[in-house]
Amino acid sequence: MTDTTSVLGYAWPLVASPGEEITFQLSSPTLPSAEAVLVRVRCGDPDPNGPGLRLEELPASFDRTIGLTHQPIRPGSCAVVPDGPPLSALQSFTVGAFLWPTLPGERIQTVLSRWRGDTKEGWRLGLDETGRLEFVLAMQGKSWRVATTEPLLSREWVLAGAAWDADAGRIRIMVRSADPQAGRDRSQVVEAEGPTSMRWPEATPLAIAAHASTAGKETFEGFYDGKIDRPRLYAAAETLDGLHRLCETTSFPTTDQRLLGAWDFSRGMATDQVTDLSTQHLHGTLRQMPTRAVTGANWDGSTDRWTDCPAQYGAIHFHSDDVADAEWKPTLRFRVPTDWKSGFYALRLRAMQGAEPVESFVGFFVRAEIGKPTSKLAFVASTATFLAYANSALRLDQVHAEAMLEGLLTLSRDDAYLQEHRELGLSTYDTHADGSGWNISSARRPILNMRPRGNVFNYGNDTHFIDWLEAIGQDYDIVTDDDIHRHGVQVLKPYTCVVTGSHPEYISREIWEAFDAYQRGGGRHMYLGGNGFYWRIAYHPTVPHTIEMRRGMTGLRTWEGEAGETALAFTGEPSSTWRSNGRPPQRLVGVGFDAQVFTHSSPYRWLDGARAPGLGWLTAGIDLDTPLGDFGLRGNGAAGVEIDRVDFSLGTPPGTVWLATADRLGYGGTPAPEEIRTLHRGVMGDQNAQVRADLVFFPTANGGAVFSTGSIAWVCALSHNDYDNNVSRLTRNVLKRFLDPAPL
Amino acid sequence: MLVTYPEAAHWPIDPARLDLVEEFRAKPRGPHGDELQKLLHRMRWNGDPQSDGRYVLVVTEPGKQWTLGRLPRQRGKPIELMRNHVFTSIAEAEWEVFKLRWEALTGTSLPPHLSGPLA
Ligand SMILES: [Fe+2]
Repeated sequence: MTDTTSVLGYAWPLVASPGEEITFQLSSPTLPSAEAVLVRVRCGDPDPNGPGLRLEELPASFDRTIGLTHQPIRPGSCAVVPDGPPLSALQSFTVGAFLWPTLPGERIQTVLSRWRGDTKEGWRLGLDETGRLEFVLAMQGKSWRVATTEPLLSREWVLAGAAWDADAGRIRIMVRSADPQAGRDRSQVVEAEGPTSMRWPEATPLAIAAHASTAGKETFEGFYDGKIDRPRLYAAAETLDGLHRLCETTSFPTTDQRLLGAWDFSRGMATDQVTDLSTQHLHGTLRQMPTRAVTGANWDGSTDRWTDCPAQYGAIHFHSDDVADAEWKPTLRFRVPTDWKSGFYALRLRAMQGAEPVESFVGFFVRAEIGKPTSKLAFVASTATFLAYANSALRLDQVHAEAMLEGLLTLSRDDAYLQEHRELGLSTYDTHADGSGWNISSARRPILNMRPRGNVFNYGNDTHFIDWLEAIGQDYDIVTDDDIHRHGVQVLKPYTCVVTGSHPEYISREIWEAFDAYQRGGGRHMYLGGNGFYWRIAYHPTVPHTIEMRRGMTGLRTWEGEAGETALAFTGEPSSTWRSNGRPPQRLVGVGFDAQVFTHSSPYRWLDGARAPGLGWLTAGIDLDTPLGDFGLRGNGAAGVEIDRVDFSLGTPPGTVWLATADRLGYGGTPAPEEIRTLHRGVMGDQNAQVRADLVFFPTANGGAVFSTGSIAWVCALSHNDYDNNVSRLTRNVLKRFLDPAPL
Repeated sequence: MLVTYPEAAHWPIDPARLDLVEEFRAKPRGPHGDELQKLLHRMRWNGDPQSDGRYVLVVTEPGKQWTLGRLPRQRGKPIELMRNHVFTSIAEAEWEVFKLRWEALTGTSLPPHLSGPLA
């Protein structure tokens, strides 16, 4: 058995041009060194029933043996306000916020603090291990604590705070439930003896949703799960009503010098900055990208977009398992040689772990330089989708996975590692420990399924197409979603034909519009996948290789978004499916997602459209009376896994030639939720021909054209019978014609 | 928050329906009749509440060899490998897990002619 995880790493940047430097951040808790070799990826899928791993070793400028160290990852998001005189001199004060805890009772969680975890000194407002709100002050061996008597409820808003009255030598903890009826009331004020003066620890930052582990270092612990809305710090002991007024107020008179902090999380939504409205300017910085643009305690349902009323979105949802940056130091630097072809690449790391061989990869991409094509053909690395799927734990965490996949879960070494090592951060398919959806994914962390030997879905399947291009001797450039997003149609324009792979599912507005403009400008687009152009996402405006998505309440979703939270924090745009944004995929590529089928895949049968005169170039050498693709590595057919269909009412162009269909998928064909209006018992594939994969061709403006297969399984059928089969032949016919500049 | 509860799977299993066991043994990868589909769905959605986690396969050699394991219901806890249950085909593994689940869900053991390895 090959160990694929004893050394892990990530490349930065994820996508580089020839001549640019890439750093590899590596870590191993056990290996002192490894042999490092750069490889160009032709096929990343080790399945012996297919081409198998095909990697070309490349010469590199660095020593093959590289030393390794262990670099931990520190998950958990929080806001950090640097220490300052107003904080270190604090005597009587009030601290509080609106809270919507999501894991009360799980462990000790800190909401607002100036506290050192190592010496247990300072003050902290938080939840104790039973979920009760507590306020603790401690210094030099003496401590004072007051707590409520009932645990807070999960996912219920409360006003929560504490006050210390130094003159009276009293402390109090205060809770007021937003909805106090029907068993939800946790309102309470409890008082206890407190100190009459305090000397606080030095060089300790004020933290929101965590506390400092020690002084003078940027490490945190005691992470809180849930929302915090309008946190306040006030240099006088207030009552519950006083605290309530402070938290409700968003415009403060500058004359009140007792206001030390009034953080407005609705400002700078896409940034890592939190703004203090007080005259102290105690602004803070967020760590590990918590979820912004979430509804606050004052959200009244009048809008579902934060851009309409930011004041109702003054909360941040913090997660103890948020990870946006592993923060590892570079182990290896490498300048991409100027003569390298664009492509899927990886750093291969080999060693022995005891008697077991280690072979681990760090994936990266080399782009064709923009405006300098070396081929007439470009294949798109669906990097947005790779990020959306990065470290997916769907099969580990989601109880429906085995039923959905119609068979025992087959887990890899990577899965077994991920089960134990959640600090890697999960994918947008997953939920956080508190059950909320994971909606941000970044490449500044090891990604187990975007590399050779990784679990095959988008990345591994797409390398089957690269393998096929190499097998037929077709030259190509690689361009990436990240570049198409940033530079638009000019990335695609130089190519006569552009191919998107098995699963270009996650698409920003910029990417959608680049493909649209490419098609209209006479470009030829081959979409050889399924469930493509499906979810609307955004890239972070400044942090590279970082995406955000909100699942909302429609589409085939592994979690459901919260009401009012479908707009993206990164851009303010609505997210969810493109179909619910007025752009069904049918409009762009002729077909759109309708179903998944995991029992088995099927062949297509040719329709009359394929027999039309003038399509001889497409069907040359293919018998239209035999099934198309009754073979393949994904379920023994070319139509399967996730599939798309024609629907003229959803935007399939009237000029479409409907070439073939696979509509006899059996009981395993399960329609997507948005394909069903009212339910009846006949919606599955054994009774419903709307559950199908369709193969289409249509011409576009200026001599352009689109060809779509509507199936994830398609590219995994190309290598059947040593690449000699009707799926391969058809793909080749279309590619040949699409590369011919004569108008279609 | 929308949650999928595994205990919601409640199709009643009739221990007397050994014909469904026979049908599964003949074709572990399907296609299956309507009632066997429901039986399998009950097992797969339920996810082995009686044991220390869901039965899963861990790939020991891609496409060639799999080891039975138990995936704990709690995140972060390691998958337990059952090294005396190694399979060279997925069908064999499906049959083995089917028998374990049948016995756990019905509280009855399978008759000798149905308790052996895959025919
Ligand atoms: Fe997908």
